[in-house]
Amino acid sequence: MPGGDFHPIAFSIIAAWILVCGIGVVTFKNIVHSAVSMVFCFLGVAAIYLLLNASLVAIIQLLVYVGAISVVILFAIMLTEAQEGEYRLFFNRQSIFAFPLTVAVAVVVTAILVSSRYPQPISLKSLTPNLKGLATLLFNVYVFPFELVSLVLLAAMIGAIVLARREDELQ
Amino acid sequence: MSAIDWYLVLATLLFCIGAFGVLARRNLILIVMSLELMLNAVNIALVAFSNFVPGVAGKGPIFALFVITIAAAEVTIGLAIVIANYRNRRSLQADSFDELKG
Repeated sequence: MPGGDFHPIAFSIIAAWILVCGIGVVTFKNIVHSAVSMVFCFLGVAAIYLLLNASLVAIIQLLVYVGAISVVILFAIMLTEAQEGEYRLFFNRQSIFAFPLTVAVAVVVTAILVSSRYPQPISLKSLTPNLKGLATLLFNVYVFPFELVSLVLLAAMIGAIVLARREDELQ
Repeated sequence: MSAIDWYLVLATLLFCIGAFGVLARRNLILIVMSLELMLNAVNIALVAFSNFVPGVAGKGPIFALFVITIAAAEVTIGLAIVIANYRNRRSLQADSFDELKG
């Protein structure tokens, strides 16, 4: 999006898309439907990143969330049994309190956001740097967290293998 | 309302949808999926802030990339625990995680 200005129509369509898919994730009875709804929600979030001029984050979102995480979750669904039964069995007893609580939090935070003033002037133009600027930031200023996060990924990989392994293979 | 407010309201609503999923659903895999929705909402807020606030320009996408990486690690570990629990209990219900009770 050249200029990075606000596009009300595109934003409204994508925002409605994200919210409808998000509500689908938490309300569908069939978990495969929830997973597909989640993939569409991630696609909408990638489109929001494009609207915000952050094309690098949009591409990473497509690769990691839509590509990898969705596949991992679908594998986990396939490895386990689908649950059948009445609709209320899919929600626990706390959901009577959870629904008003989350609605109240959403209303209060939205009211605060709409009525607040920002301490510094808010730009109307897009300020996200281009790919070169982001790469310079990532590999100069943030190179230590970048290396650290690769260690975290390695640890997570080993941990997942150890956890998901069968007990009798350990002997 | 300026443009940033709309993005922040969207992030708030998506976060609350995810929080409802975590609080109200019983299926462990669905709880992990709702957690992902919440992390996505936070990422939208980060990228929106860095796109419109001059002081933090450029830092939001970097931080969002780190959040995405940690989310990938979290989902692998979380699903490995869910699968290990399912193998022992034959259940995906959050209530079946009661081995440490008393």
